[in-house]
Amino acid sequence: MEKAKITAYQLFALVLLFELGSALLVALGIEAKQDAWIVILLGMIGGLLIFFVCYRLYCFYPDCLPTEYLQKIMGKGLGKSASFLYMLYFVYLAARVLRDFGAMLLTFAYIETPLFIANTLMILVIVYSVSKGIEVLARTGELFLVFIYFLAGSGVLLVLFSGVVDLHNLQPVLENGWKPIIKSTVKETIYFPFGELIVFTMIIPYLRDSKKVRNVSIIGIIVSGISLMLVMVFNISILGVKLTERSQFPLLTTIQTIQVADFLERLDVYFMIALIVGGFFKVALFIYAAVIGTANIFTVTPPSRLCYPIGLVVLLLSMTMASNFPEHLKEGISIVPFLLHLPFQIIFPVLLLGMAYLKNRKHKKQGTG
Amino acid sequence: MPSFFKKKSSSYNKKTGQEKKKEYSSSPLSAVLEENIEYIKTQTGNSTDIVIRSFKHSPRFNTKSAIVYLKGLTDSQTVQELLIEPLMKSNPAESDPISMEDMIEGYLPLGNMEQIKDWNALFPALMSGHTIIFVDGYSVAISSATEGGEKRAVEEPRTQRAIRGSKEGFTESIETNISLVRRIIQNPSLWTETMTIGRVTKTKVTIMYLKGIARDDIIEELRKRLEKIDIDGVLESGFLEQYIEDQSISAFPTLYHSERPDAVAGNLLEGRFALFVNGTPFVLLGPVVFVQFFQSIEDYTERFYISTALRFLRVLVFFISLIGPATYIAATTFHQEMIPTQLLIAIAAQRESVPFPSFVEALIMEVTFEILREAGIRMPEAIGSAISIVGALVIGQAAVQAGVVSPAMVIIVAITAISSFATPSFSIAISARLLRFLFMISAATFGFFGMILGFIILVVHLCSLRSFGVPYMSPLAPFIPADLNDTFVRGPLWADRKRPAFISGSNNVRQSESTGRPQPEQSSEMVTDQEGDQQ
Repeated sequence: MEKAKITAYQLFALVLLFELGSALLVALGIEAKQDAWIVILLGMIGGLLIFFVCYRLYCFYPDCLPTEYLQKIMGKGLGKSASFLYMLYFVYLAARVLRDFGAMLLTFAYIETPLFIANTLMILVIVYSVSKGIEVLARTGELFLVFIYFLAGSGVLLVLFSGVVDLHNLQPVLENGWKPIIKSTVKETIYFPFGELIVFTMIIPYLRDSKKVRNVSIIGIIVSGISLMLVMVFNISILGVKLTERSQFPLLTTIQTIQVADFLERLDVYFMIALIVGGFFKVALFIYAAVIGTANIFTVTPPSRLCYPIGLVVLLLSMTMASNFPEHLKEGISIVPFLLHLPFQIIFPVLLLGMAYLKNRKHKKQGTG
Repeated sequence: MPSFFKKKSSSYNKKTGQEKKKEYSSSPLSAVLEENIEYIKTQTGNSTDIVIRSFKHSPRFNTKSAIVYLKGLTDSQTVQELLIEPLMKSNPAESDPISMEDMIEGYLPLGNMEQIKDWNALFPALMSGHTIIFVDGYSVAISSATEGGEKRAVEEPRTQRAIRGSKEGFTESIETNISLVRRIIQNPSLWTETMTIGRVTKTKVTIMYLKGIARDDIIEELRKRLEKIDIDGVLESGFLEQYIEDQSISAFPTLYHSERPDAVAGNLLEGRFALFVNGTPFVLLGPVVFVQFFQSIEDYTERFYISTALRFLRVLVFFISLIGPATYIAATTFHQEMIPTQLLIAIAAQRESVPFPSFVEALIMEVTFEILREAGIRMPEAIGSAISIVGALVIGQAAVQAGVVSPAMVIIVAITAISSFATPSFSIAISARLLRFLFMISAATFGFFGMILGFIILVVHLCSLRSFGVPYMSPLAPFIPADLNDTFVRGPLWADRKRPAFISGSNNVRQSESTGRPQPEQSSEMVTDQEGDQQ
């Protein structure tokens, strides 16, 4: 573990940027048509539940990383292997996000650039930042949060001035009842983007004031949920359900509808900044968690020695994980949630919490008796 | 490999410490006057500017004495009137042999006097302009402070002009500079410490801070870093700056330098330290933060709305000088769709006759401009006008007519150039000047993608910098809401109750509660005569 401390606001910024990261760009919960925003809110509640499980675990062991308390709960060998699995999971997720990001970038702006080049550049920047440590990453987050919300604010104003918002597109609410909403929540939003917060178990031990962990994270999750919901509401009310469904990047299409005073138009660069900054923080946090966790398991000092190797692994994995983008998306929708997200985000933490609870009760009894 | 953890200051270089001690091993003065004089002559190679004046101290006792000083470094009038005259005319009581103590206490009407017993203390004193008095039969010499000689007068600062504010600027003399600050802060807790740095030059360096406001750990750290320096010469404060910076491999300055006594005083009041170096009008200030480079002294004297607006302008100007040409390159090379159609047609029409891609075009213009600027700095003033004429031709109409560059490019380069001059701090302006070329390259290879990545690296780098342990981007990151009053915005002075928390320690209240916002009754709206109402 690094000898670093972050402030509550920094944690908030990281949670927010992480959540918005890639979720901002895709049509989240569009399976539920115009009720996508409800799906996002439900997913947010699911995310809060997952966070509470992690938080209880953190309360048992507030001073150590999950890789350490896994060993305390499950025993050394088993704990180490379980932690290692988690690190692999983080590396895989980092590679997934990187691939998503690279593919998006190429599709909308750099059609002839090879994917490998775009990903390499991105990973170089990320590895450099991760090697500077969590404090620097957190400070960068603080600055970029303001920047992103400034862009978002001006974007919203421009969209409103363009006069393209039609809230009727959001009606009728609950056209097909609750079923598709619940289905979409359980299938998607609860894991992506909210369940991925599991990576923050590696970050919260760094918070200076451990009492604030709960409130800050909850506020962060709620604000990010509401932001995502608003983005989706804007997307659907501007584009309509059909276009949102078909469009590869609804946010980009929405931004392209901006037209103010015949001069402010085609503000694609807004989308690009959101894409790159969001992708940067998401991948960086995953890689940071993987680096610090792996260093902890195998007692590598200093941990920064692992940044470049793990960065390389993520880069290569992002290239080889799927042979083309549709395949990548298919994996992401039908395989990853059940094979990876469900066990790693929900089943394992709940089991762990149960074990930790039993173990600590026993300790307490021994202590008092 | 970049560092993950903050490296604790590496182990002290014990060897240099020992060497230093060896150098100062004692070699006492002789009691024979001639031997002492001879030793000085051999040690200085009979240098012609050393004046050795021997005389009989008192006619009655025939005591031989000599005074030694350096011509030009001492005030000859002082030496004449206050040293030689009293010594030659002194008439001690008949039987008493004169002692050193008597001489100091009774005869010499000079302020700063001390006894020296060792050559290693004598030479630095002599070389810094002291006058040394030898008396035959004593292995002790008297050193009297008679520094003088030619100095530049206090003038208006050349580099940091202010519209409203003091017109005094520092000079090359360290004593004058310290006194200029002391004159502003008349308080006994303004502490100074002097040391000499430079094995050969023996340059005087003074740390100044406000005891009780500056953080002791920062001062201690500064002292440690200064003591570590063992170089042959210190010619300017920039020499020291490079040895005491936290992060030496960075394009950004982590120490501030100022030529203005009022700026130094303001920074001392916020808890910073000042580092005076003899021989330069530039005083180092630290610890600094990024936003400080966008502040100017008259921000505090003007209306706060205006100062805030000006600070925003300066940030804008910094960004233009950083990414102006890069944005043009990225937009015309990769993202034509983002330019409004009318403008795009205009630019395309202009660029039709230009044979280069816009990156090359921009590079030609920027490099030309940098050449002109470099030439202009060191030119004698008489030739300056010639340069501006040639410059206007080269990066102006002629270049456009020759078909080398497009008019749009000329505008971009001109705006960028003006912007980089408008940044208040030269040291941050040159950082932007250098990084501009990196941004141009990244824009030329990857368009906005490259630029945004470059920007992320820039922000990460800035966030990773520290100045004497203080994060460079504070109070923005780490975010300290209480200190936002004096960053890119400037709140009214009465709202600025506390000193910046990231610099000053516990003693951070700058004004009393009652000083708050001035609200004289007469000035509030709708004044009613209350007594009149009652009637």
